[in-house]
Amino acid sequence: MTDATTTADPAEMAPAPLVIPVLEMRHVNAAYGPFRALFDVSLSVGEGETVALLGRNGAGKTTVARVASGLVEPTGGEVMVDGNDFTKTRAYRYAKAGVVHVPEGRAVFPDFSVEENLTLAFSRTRDRSGVRDALARAFELFPPIAQRRRQIAGTLSGGEQRMLAMARVLVETPRLLIADELSLGLAPIVTDEVYAVLARIRDAGTALLIVEQHMGHALALCDRAILLDHGAISWQGPASEAAQAAGASLFDTGGDSRS
Amino acid sequence: MSLLAADGITKRFAGITALDDVHIAVDEGERVGLIGPNGAGKTTLFNCLLGLLRPDAGSVSFDGQSITRLPIYRRARLGIGRTFQRVELFSGSSVRDHLLFAHRIRSGTGALWKDLLGLGLPKPAEIERCDTLLESLGLGGMGDEPIEALSLGQSRLVEVARALMTQPRVVLLDEPSSGLDRAETTALADTLARIQTEQGFGLLLVEHDVELVATFTERTYVLNFGKLITHGPTSEVMRDDEVRAAYLGDFVAGTS
Amino acid sequence: MTASVLAAGVVEETIRAFFQGLPIGAGFALVAMSFVLTYKTSGVFNLAFGAQAFISAATYFELHVRRDWPIWSAVLVAVVLVAPVLGLLLERLIFRHVHAASAVSKLVISLGLLVALPELFKLIVDYNREQPFGAVGIIPDGTTVYRLFGRYPVTRDEIAAFVIVVAAALALAALFRYTRLGLRIRAVVQSPRMTELNGVNADWVSSGSWMLSSLFAGLAGVLLVPTTPSLGTVLEPTGYFPIVISALAAAALGRLVSLPAAMFGGLALGVVTTQMRTHVPRDNVILAELQGPALPYVMLFAIIVFWPAIRRQVAGADPLLGVSPPPPALAATSRSRGMTIYTRIMALAFFTAVGIWTFGYANDFWISRITHSVIFSIIFLSIVVFTGLGGQIALCQVTFAAIGAFGAMQFAQRWDISVIVGMLAGAAIAAAVGAVLSIPVMRLGGIWLAIATLAFALFFHDVLVKYSWVGGSLFHGRGVPRPEFLGVDFSSRENFLILSIAILVLVGVLIILIRESSTGMALRALRGSETAAESIGVISWRSRVIVFSVSAAIAAIGGGLLAMEERLVGYEANFDPQTGLFWLVIVVVLGARTVEGGIQAGVAFVIFPELVLHRWFGLDGAWRFVLFGFAAISFARHPEGLLEHGKRRSQALMQRAFARRAPAMAAAGAGGAAETGEEP
Repeated sequence: MTDATTTADPAEMAPAPLVIPVLEMRHVNAAYGPFRALFDVSLSVGEGETVALLGRNGAGKTTVARVASGLVEPTGGEVMVDGNDFTKTRAYRYAKAGVVHVPEGRAVFPDFSVEENLTLAFSRTRDRSGVRDALARAFELFPPIAQRRRQIAGTLSGGEQRMLAMARVLVETPRLLIADELSLGLAPIVTDEVYAVLARIRDAGTALLIVEQHMGHALALCDRAILLDHGAISWQGPASEAAQAAGASLFDTGGDSRS
Repeated sequence: MSLLAADGITKRFAGITALDDVHIAVDEGERVGLIGPNGAGKTTLFNCLLGLLRPDAGSVSFDGQSITRLPIYRRARLGIGRTFQRVELFSGSSVRDHLLFAHRIRSGTGALWKDLLGLGLPKPAEIERCDTLLESLGLGGMGDEPIEALSLGQSRLVEVARALMTQPRVVLLDEPSSGLDRAETTALADTLARIQTEQGFGLLLVEHDVELVATFTERTYVLNFGKLITHGPTSEVMRDDEVRAAYLGDFVAGTS
Repeated sequence: MTASVLAAGVVEETIRAFFQGLPIGAGFALVAMSFVLTYKTSGVFNLAFGAQAFISAATYFELHVRRDWPIWSAVLVAVVLVAPVLGLLLERLIFRHVHAASAVSKLVISLGLLVALPELFKLIVDYNREQPFGAVGIIPDGTTVYRLFGRYPVTRDEIAAFVIVVAAALALAALFRYTRLGLRIRAVVQSPRMTELNGVNADWVSSGSWMLSSLFAGLAGVLLVPTTPSLGTVLEPTGYFPIVISALAAAALGRLVSLPAAMFGGLALGVVTTQMRTHVPRDNVILAELQGPALPYVMLFAIIVFWPAIRRQVAGADPLLGVSPPPPALAATSRSRGMTIYTRIMALAFFTAVGIWTFGYANDFWISRITHSVIFSIIFLSIVVFTGLGGQIALCQVTFAAIGAFGAMQFAQRWDISVIVGMLAGAAIAAAVGAVLSIPVMRLGGIWLAIATLAFALFFHDVLVKYSWVGGSLFHGRGVPRPEFLGVDFSSRENFLILSIAILVLVGVLIILIRESSTGMALRALRGSETAAESIGVISWRSRVIVFSVSAAIAAIGGGLLAMEERLVGYEANFDPQTGLFWLVIVVVLGARTVEGGIQAGVAFVIFPELVLHRWFGLDGAWRFVLFGFAAISFARHPEGLLEHGKRRSQALMQRAFARRAPAMAAAGAGGAAETGEEP
């Protein structure tokens, strides 16, 4: 506990921005009606950097992801994308700026076929033949959904839906990918596959903000880790030290009953 | 024979098995925890117990009587109280009205003709009864406040008070710590523990906050991927490697 | 031999009815698709449809008939230009800003528009409603009759309507299937936020779909005129109601969200209508009625009650639904004691002054106006009970008021029994009708309740009122006496006013008793959270049915008094279903939550147009509808009601003082938490 909470102001902990980060959140507060979800959260993700955002359920991870992609407007603080103020900007502009978000859960259009889900995403920047090429790439990346291209997305299994949600964003090589609870409800073997794909796009130069409750995969993938607790950043540092810090904060009170 | 018991509950959504043959039981006077990571099926089980969902297989019983097919309000009248993860209060009502109304429902004293004759207005005895409970929950003197003026922690206490006014024999708490900071969570847990000891109802705590469950409950069930992975005295459950793995992923389980 | 001839006749009749039914059904389908389009894309149950259709049709006739434009250019302007622009304006100026509002407040806004838009249009283009016009379609020589297969007669208008609707449906299908806009519209319907995550501006897409649905409404507006009897003599937005009802039935088949179901449902209902008219024997009164005007209402009601898809309807499956904050709670309604005493004294002084003036100085005209205000206040209190306390919308209070009025009349005329008894009997009947009507639909709640009650109101208007046991015979409710009881004769204006005030006070007190007692608590609980209310054992639909009956009885008492005041049942003037929509909106806008709100609405309804608009500003009566529309729109931002909103603003100081106290309390709570929460 002692190590985990002695960190100074998290904003100072962030690496000094030599270059402008892709995404920067400064002293962000957020709330859903009366529910205060985030308290003074500051973080940044640089070009090509990979960050794991960890914490237990309800700690505010998903809210960070939503603020970072414009879905939730913060009640205080600023959100910068490539150095521009995006605080009051709507979500579609984030997507146009290359900050893409794969939300948690069934993040697909449930009434669309697999192909329609992808076409919607691709047709923003591409003409008809461009969309065809992009579809081909997507199915190349995720062969399991290629066989189901005409199936209604709502009837896909959880893993297939997750792949579809990823295929939507990965064809374009975004600047920053925000992935929320990718392993949620997935069988371990499917999680492995999903993370293999993430590793490939990391290597292609996309910055990653990985929100996870199961930390194993996320820490193996990322350079840096941020721990959230009750809506505030409780620790951040190199991914290699995160497990210890997190284990302490999640389970240390179990010690009371043990002793 | 347990007071509230679920036997072999299975629930599927569009091909995904959210709950797979889950057994769980709560008795009067005990504090039981139900934990599991996101998506483990906690909420689904909770909804099956309360009647918001019908299980595909298995049964729910209360006091030896099957309640699997009873609607929500019948279960409530049998003595199952609950709170909500996203606070569900009656906007436009005062704090005391929440309690008063629950009491009227329980005692069956509300009728239109009484209202029309002016007999339905709050009576001093009822008000006193409500205020006594509010007092013991640390909300003394707030009976006349509009519900909107309360903090989230206080709102959760009002939910508890409202449930208690129906004289429940078992209370189900749905993630009471969500939206609260650590200090508020602890304060809430202390109050809950005191009231539970005084009144002796059974308590089922559905939570993601492992710490709260560890300090608050005597027994704990752990769900993952819709299956009960372990169950037993809380202190033992918290030491279980499988439980730690479910929360932290294989990384920690592998190294520790 | 004869049997086979007979059978051949039946077959021929069936086929004939089929070909007659298709064009009618095509009209239903067109309107139903427009409804579904709006509802799907914006969650607005757009009762302003009639107004949109009217504006296009009126534009068309203005241009084509009065200004002799060629058909094609008139259609181009009226349908292709005016309709989408109107849709765009509605979306941009109004509906975009109420995105988070409840379905019910959106319904109120669309009701306001339904009343206000046509009047605004008439003021702007100086549209002359007196001018008789022929029901000219957009097809040259539309009444020319053709014979399909040499025997089944159809008019050119009917063929054109059918072809255009099918073409429109195909175009819509192609749009949705093959174009980017179509894909985006469908995406926004499922989840606006997910669509935004794909880099698409969901607001633009919304505008597009409003333009599209408005185009459909405009097309329906001009296309349906020649084939719709209710539009045959004078073009009014209400003329579209019968079609709208059938179209709603078609749309309900697809739970208001399925376009193919709306289209095929519309066609099917058209065919069913003509088949019923052909085959159902006419010798039974009820069966005969079913072939006539009752059919659409019965169909709609039956579909709402029995169609399983509606009962299974669940809240949308938007994967990002949780992102939206919960709807804002109404501002806290605490008031200091000093403030309360002050307002009470002011109110007392005001009423005393009005009373002295009324009974001492006012002439007959003003006494009659004031009596009307009091009576309408009573009627409006029925809306306070159901909509204000119950949080649900019913569109048939006007019908209950009419039942009270007819009750008083029937008892007095038929059996020479006191009108007071008749009025109370009317109230009892209204309560019973309310219960019977609401039990099947109350579980559905929300928009379905509103639709079902509207269907009932129109059913009463078009069917029941024509029966002599309801609406009286030839002289349609003349000669309702004023009462005499307890030895007092209430026939003078002053005495009747006193009686009305006494009843208003009584009803007001009863409502306050209800509000402060168990029933009121139950209703507040259900408004606040139905799930939570059920979790403590409330049977939600039962409480609502009870309150609906109470509300029906109050409306009937008001209706009975109104008939006595006017000494006749002025059904057309007072109890038209559209008047009922007006009532609802004025009460909801001025403040349905309180008894004062209901009374203010009653006074405003009677006095405002006469005094303020006409005498002070010399404005045309139409302006009141326009103002009313604006009020409905403003309601979206102040759902507690305009007067309540003003009152709250005037209490801003008190509120601020309160706000200073609230954080202090929260801090105290948190402080206490911090003490106990310290780590050992």
